[in-house]
Amino acid sequence: MAQATATSITESKAWGGGRSPFNVSYGKMMMWFFLMSDAFTFGALLISYGTTRFFSAVWPDANQVFKSFPFMGETNLPLLFVSLMTFILIMSSVTMVLAVHAGHYGDRKNVIKWMLWTIIGGIGFLSCQAWEWTHLHSEGGWWGSFTDPSTPVSAFAHFFNHHKESVMAALPAHGMQATHDFFNYFFTITGFHGGHVFSGVVFNILVLVNTVNGVYQRRGHYEMVEKIGLYWHFVDLVWVFVFTCFYLL
Amino acid sequence: MSAHNQHTVQSLYEGDQSKLYSGILQHHSDVNSTESKTQVKKIWKVFWVLLVITIAEVIMGMFFSHQMPKALVAFFFLALTLLKAGYIIAVFMHLGDEVQNFIITMAIPITLFIWFIIAFLADGSFWLFMNTTSPVR
Repeated sequence: MAQATATSITESKAWGGGRSPFNVSYGKMMMWFFLMSDAFTFGALLISYGTTRFFSAVWPDANQVFKSFPFMGETNLPLLFVSLMTFILIMSSVTMVLAVHAGHYGDRKNVIKWMLWTIIGGIGFLSCQAWEWTHLHSEGGWWGSFTDPSTPVSAFAHFFNHHKESVMAALPAHGMQATHDFFNYFFTITGFHGGHVFSGVVFNILVLVNTVNGVYQRRGHYEMVEKIGLYWHFVDLVWVFVFTCFYLL
Repeated sequence: MSAHNQHTVQSLYEGDQSKLYSGILQHHSDVNSTESKTQVKKIWKVFWVLLVITIAEVIMGMFFSHQMPKALVAFFFLALTLLKAGYIIAVFMHLGDEVQNFIITMAIPITLFIWFIIAFLADGSFWLFMNTTSPVR
């Protein structure tokens, strides 16, 4: 009887110890847990942004705030520049997953190639963000901007949907506070995301240096590429939500 | 030297754990194998899906979102966003390839967001209702 029970336990899929029940290494699992906690941080920021937006009588219109493109002057090109940024980030995510794939097969040459493209994509995204921040700053937006009660409505009216009379009517009473809140959240959240992209680029460069030096080849596996890949994809994932919340909704 | 190369599960568990789970024991070696090529094809397929969804969102945001009911616009964008997120997590982050226990462990805490979003947005709009003298939003 006892023997029969023991046999059925060995044959069942119950975890018997000696191996990770999740079939992942400690480092990779901890990267997932870190990313989950980071998701809650970003979630808290975005939900707080949403609450403030629901709280506000008016809100700046993305098509009016984000309508510029480098070297195009005053041409009205809503959302075009941020679409380019999104494209660059998705593309760098693809090159990252190709680096991870090459790593699975121990293909050092291709890991180097795709890591290089990922780093270039990350730097490209950061450059775009630097331009966008500079541009919005030149329009008066920054942390703590739009607080002076004597600010004329004309200083922020162009951030709103001026085709809508009801919005225009509410601007004198509520417009400045909404502009102030909008820019505080915009710079905080895209700044926090940009900080993640920046550290991601730094980690990618470290992993690239290790790959070039053959560290992972000697170690026998490229799991470090996989772990930094998880971080990089997470940064792309957060951008998907930032893009929806700030530029589309 | 020979002892060093012996990848017994026990020795790996006490040493570099990563080797246990990194596929080294499954002997992935041929990048040009059909298996490898199928995976690369899948990656590019997901790239095109993400690109098409993003273009659809941008076109919608540029031209149509002002003429449609707000709730419909929000539903449209959120559904597409979640679809994109699902593809990135399942394919790019390889969560779809992990064991089911691990997927569930990651998924359950995230469901807290459902309640956060409902609670906080409802609170925001209640404050607007309490504060505003103008019915405009």
